[in-house]
Amino acid sequence: MSTQDSKVRVAADIGGTFTDIALIRQDGRVATRKVPSTPDDYGRGVVDGVHQILAAEKLTPADVGEVLHACTVATNAILEAKGARTALLTTKGFRDVLDMRRIRVPRLYQPLYKKPPVLVPRRLRLEITERMDWRGEVLTELDEASVTAAIDLLVDEKIEAVAVCLLHSYANPAHERRIGEMLKERLPGVFVSLSVDVLPEIREYERTSTTAINSYVGPPVRNYLESLVARLTSDGLPQRLFMMHSAGGIVDARTVMRRPAQIVECGPAAGVLSARHVGHLAGYEDIISFDMGGTTAKASLIEAGELHRTDDYEVGGGISLSSKLAKGGGYALKLPVIDISEVGAGGGSIVWIDRAGALKVGPHSAGAMPGPACYDAGGTEATVTDANVVLGFVNSTALAGGSLKIDGRLSYKAVEEKVANPLGLSVEDAAYGIHELATTVMTRAVKSVTTYRGRDPRDFTLFAFGGNGGIHAVTLASALGVGKVVVPPGAGVFSALGLLYADVETSAAGACLRRLDTVPLDQVEAQFAGLEAQVAAELSQPAEKIAMTRFADFRYASQAFELMLPFGSDAAATDVAELHRRFEAEHERLYGYRLPGSGVEIVTLRVTGRLMGEESVRAKHGVPASDAGVTRNVYFSARYGRVETPVVGRGALGAAPRQGPLIIEEYEGTTVVPPDCTAALDADGNIVITLPAPAGVRTERHEYA
Amino acid sequence: MREIDPVRLEVLKNAFDTIADEMALMLMRAAHSPIVRDSMDFSTALCDTQGQTLAQGVTTPMHLGSFYDAMKHLMKKFEGRIREGDIFIGNDPYAAAGQHLPDIYIVEPIFHEHKLIAWATTVAHHADVGGIVPGSNALGATEIIQEGIRLPFLKLADAGVHDEGIWEILGLNVRVPDLVLGDVKAQMAACTACRRSFLELIARYGTDEIQFYADELHNYAERLGRAEIAEMPDGVYHFTDHLDGLGEDPEPIVIQINLHITGDTITVDLTGSSLQVPGGVNTPLPFTKASVYTALRSVMKSEIPNCHGFERVVTVTAPKGTVVNSVYPAPCGARGITGYRVIDAMFGALAQALPERVTADGMGGSSVPTFGGWHEGKPFVFSETVMGTWGASDSHDGQVGVPHMGANQANVPVEMIEASYPLRIREYGIVADTGGPGRHRGGNSFVREYEFTAEEGIVSLRSDKKDFLPHGLFGGLPGNGPVSVLTRAAGGQEVLPVLATKPYRIRKGDVFRHVSPSGAGYGDPLERPPEDVAADVREGLITPAHALTGFGVELIDGAADLSSTKALRAGMRAARTA
Repeated sequence: MSTQDSKVRVAADIGGTFTDIALIRQDGRVATRKVPSTPDDYGRGVVDGVHQILAAEKLTPADVGEVLHACTVATNAILEAKGARTALLTTKGFRDVLDMRRIRVPRLYQPLYKKPPVLVPRRLRLEITERMDWRGEVLTELDEASVTAAIDLLVDEKIEAVAVCLLHSYANPAHERRIGEMLKERLPGVFVSLSVDVLPEIREYERTSTTAINSYVGPPVRNYLESLVARLTSDGLPQRLFMMHSAGGIVDARTVMRRPAQIVECGPAAGVLSARHVGHLAGYEDIISFDMGGTTAKASLIEAGELHRTDDYEVGGGISLSSKLAKGGGYALKLPVIDISEVGAGGGSIVWIDRAGALKVGPHSAGAMPGPACYDAGGTEATVTDANVVLGFVNSTALAGGSLKIDGRLSYKAVEEKVANPLGLSVEDAAYGIHELATTVMTRAVKSVTTYRGRDPRDFTLFAFGGNGGIHAVTLASALGVGKVVVPPGAGVFSALGLLYADVETSAAGACLRRLDTVPLDQVEAQFAGLEAQVAAELSQPAEKIAMTRFADFRYASQAFELMLPFGSDAAATDVAELHRRFEAEHERLYGYRLPGSGVEIVTLRVTGRLMGEESVRAKHGVPASDAGVTRNVYFSARYGRVETPVVGRGALGAAPRQGPLIIEEYEGTTVVPPDCTAALDADGNIVITLPAPAGVRTERHEYA
Repeated sequence: MREIDPVRLEVLKNAFDTIADEMALMLMRAAHSPIVRDSMDFSTALCDTQGQTLAQGVTTPMHLGSFYDAMKHLMKKFEGRIREGDIFIGNDPYAAAGQHLPDIYIVEPIFHEHKLIAWATTVAHHADVGGIVPGSNALGATEIIQEGIRLPFLKLADAGVHDEGIWEILGLNVRVPDLVLGDVKAQMAACTACRRSFLELIARYGTDEIQFYADELHNYAERLGRAEIAEMPDGVYHFTDHLDGLGEDPEPIVIQINLHITGDTITVDLTGSSLQVPGGVNTPLPFTKASVYTALRSVMKSEIPNCHGFERVVTVTAPKGTVVNSVYPAPCGARGITGYRVIDAMFGALAQALPERVTADGMGGSSVPTFGGWHEGKPFVFSETVMGTWGASDSHDGQVGVPHMGANQANVPVEMIEASYPLRIREYGIVADTGGPGRHRGGNSFVREYEFTAEEGIVSLRSDKKDFLPHGLFGGLPGNGPVSVLTRAAGGQEVLPVLATKPYRIRKGDVFRHVSPSGAGYGDPLERPPEDVAADVREGLITPAHALTGFGVELIDGAADLSSTKALRAGMRAARTA
């Protein structure tokens, strides 16, 4: 999405340990860099990193056209309870909605469970006299004296942010708007969010929670972005900053400051977006993106080139398995996020044996410190990485292109003492067991975005990235019946690259809640038009430059879960009978049945707008050709035993498939190609691994088709 | 004997769990009634060829282990007649070893190469199965015949051919056929998902391998359970708990737990519990067993698989014809509350053996108000399970906004209720000064207030703990009982009994207010740090007056005054021994 010719674009993605920087030139040449993150002031690390990469590429700040960014400021504010001092104004009788939550708890059988503390303390949750019904009709007029009294209290309490969420405000925003005006007048410097601006949808807990999060992270995000922009400006870098949001689009940083809750999951989103982009250019439209790092593994689905998004999401609840049954461990955040499923199995995940002799992997992690045993930093527990070192998948003397020295003997010792001896296994079988088990845990993440949603993983290509993605990708693909694995270049800074590939895109939603067969289409059209105007305003672009896509959430009248489907893009193309038919077809695909004769409801209308006219960037990565003739003894399961395996660089592969076994070692990670697979390099520098056809029979694949 | 590969075992255990969870998600998303989709009052399981649970998608812990008795019954009845493409339906506690009539089982055998290799099983609480009150949880039923449609296990589909007659009969006998038939279909969708995923597993590993590790999984669960029990102090622990009783003039119903911990086995005997009663709170033994398992699982630290093997380490006995092992014709529509009380009583007994692993008593399960009638030409039934407040524990104050240990059920959003039913919720929140005082304070009560907006209808209520308050532990004081008041638009108020055996007629504008029981305290309230008491006052959880009388803490300008508090507490201690 370049706006100025001949200028480079720079992206910065902040992680817990490293800030990844990526730079792309007009001709597509890419440079990347990892610099340490600076938690005391993250912006410093970003700007330093940008200067470093510019210097290395012999460029100056004046050559930079745009800066794109993903950060963890919003997430950290919640995880570390360091958000703004926030108050909530709500309808009389409902002060404790955030305390009562949805009741459900994330883990069963735990009498000593303690729920997460409410972001807004009870004394700062104040009631306003007013009431609407679900149609938006006023039952009790807004009592402005009760608002004034509440504001008086907030002045005394030195509030930094206020969330306003009234019952049924999605159906009539008048009372919230009026309170917003009164707050603006009396508390001009305070960050105010109205639920009708943040999430105008039915269900009071989710709407209140989302609005409260928005206010809670508002001041820290605003302060961070303002200081970053000031720093960029003073260093001669562009002051217009673009941010990735959790749904995988980028928007102007000023838009983020109004609705900061939308960037909570922006880092992982960038990785998935990167997979879609690289996949699309290489001709893959159906992709499972698989991101395995040090503590977790994440999976997401791309189908027919489209990302899957969800708004059934919680922040701060620990690991977020998509489709998880028992929610309630975190704070409901019902804004669109890319549907990413996460499990606690990464390279640093600790392996242990329970009291009945079963082997377990994670969710505890050795983290970056002390790290796996082989780091020789005091870790004595066996980790997944240690198992991979024992097997020979991972270099036993150094990682990251030689920059991180490790000691493989410590891995061997840890696996032997902690796993092999207690279970009476050989060290190799124990290590392979750990590798296989970690893969099983990751299978769950993939299944929750595929089979749980009626999708067959065998119809997809697995894109592996993150520091450990290439090590486990083939084992994982094999367990799922996936036939092809792609390991793209730059897999270790893949999220930063994703920022360069993202479209300028945002979305808006509004409650509708009507029977499909009786809905007045002109009203729906008017509501869609309003949402489109809102999107255009957020993108600060005229409507004709924006590609708008309309969606609506449908359900059978008695259901509580909706299915999101495209809605005709103009009123003339909207056919109620056709919408009804499509809903039923999707319902049948997911659940295996229809309910003819049952009413269908439209619940929410959604619009996504994408800035048009920008060509896809085709990144060019330098691929050093390297085949030093080195081999390593690698254990590829009991079936193969130890095999002398060539260790090569990415450039040693060519268009012609090369038979495994192979280990491909790069600065950013390792890719494992077992003996029964082949690996080739495509025109974009992607490693393409083909698995043998599975022995098993495909069962009932098209049952719902 | 074949050697066990611990990795393969863990891999397949994960695979079985994934299938059970997938079923549960499928069912929840496709479900139609609020009690299934929001309260998640259903369970799904993958069972082995003997009908023993391999993995259960546990959404309602009180369903743990609830499939085996029903499956034994089904397999005996249809021995030699189980065919590929069959789907079974049943619900009767006595004729199908079920739980209560609203819980309908939908069960499908899974075949591979014409051989039965597993079972896909589901049970879901349906919005209505007929009977004398909407929602079919009549406390006033005196025999099961009055509670609704009774289904022995029947073939809903025979070798792929659906029995339309059963669909028609079911549709005719329930008040909300769309919801009930829709939820049955959601259960079938879950079974289909189970079959598909299990056959994929078979294609990958083969039937023999799966069977071998299925058996081993039971042994593994048993080993884990025994290791846990071996660490518990041996002994016999007794605890007596009560349900207040039925109707306007309640007679207490006794729940007696006699817990024997000996080495690595546990026996729970419920002898001493009341005889079955002429009201819907009787529970068949399978449900009592499930409730006992839930309490025991809750004090164990290991991640024990939700499979049949766990049941081998626990023996549950109760005399026939009691409220915890009822026989025909005892009604059991509202038996959930007895299950909750069995769990609470188990915690009472376990507190003596493992004082740091349990909480003081809480609100005792859900309160269940049910509204029904006709609105805009259609019948409606709205019933919700309202939870939840816990007692305090050794480590922290009682939690509010959490479910009972027996059922991980969600609340129904106020906005959804108002958009779907002729009801308006006027208040939903915490009530100050209600938690039982203690070193750690019990969770406060909460209130839910409903205004009826249809012309006329009925309300009924299932609740408890008014006469027998939530009990404290180690010096903690009891929690409060519930308050349920009906305020008439035409003037006047009525107090509803805890277990209303007859529905109350209501009219437009009538307001029903229910204040839940609260949690009890843990430890001496005079040992509660004064700054914690002051913090509770600041948050509006207690008033300054309650700080004084309940905790002996005097506040000056919002802060605890340490010297006057010390004197006050000394006086209160002296008064105790006087």
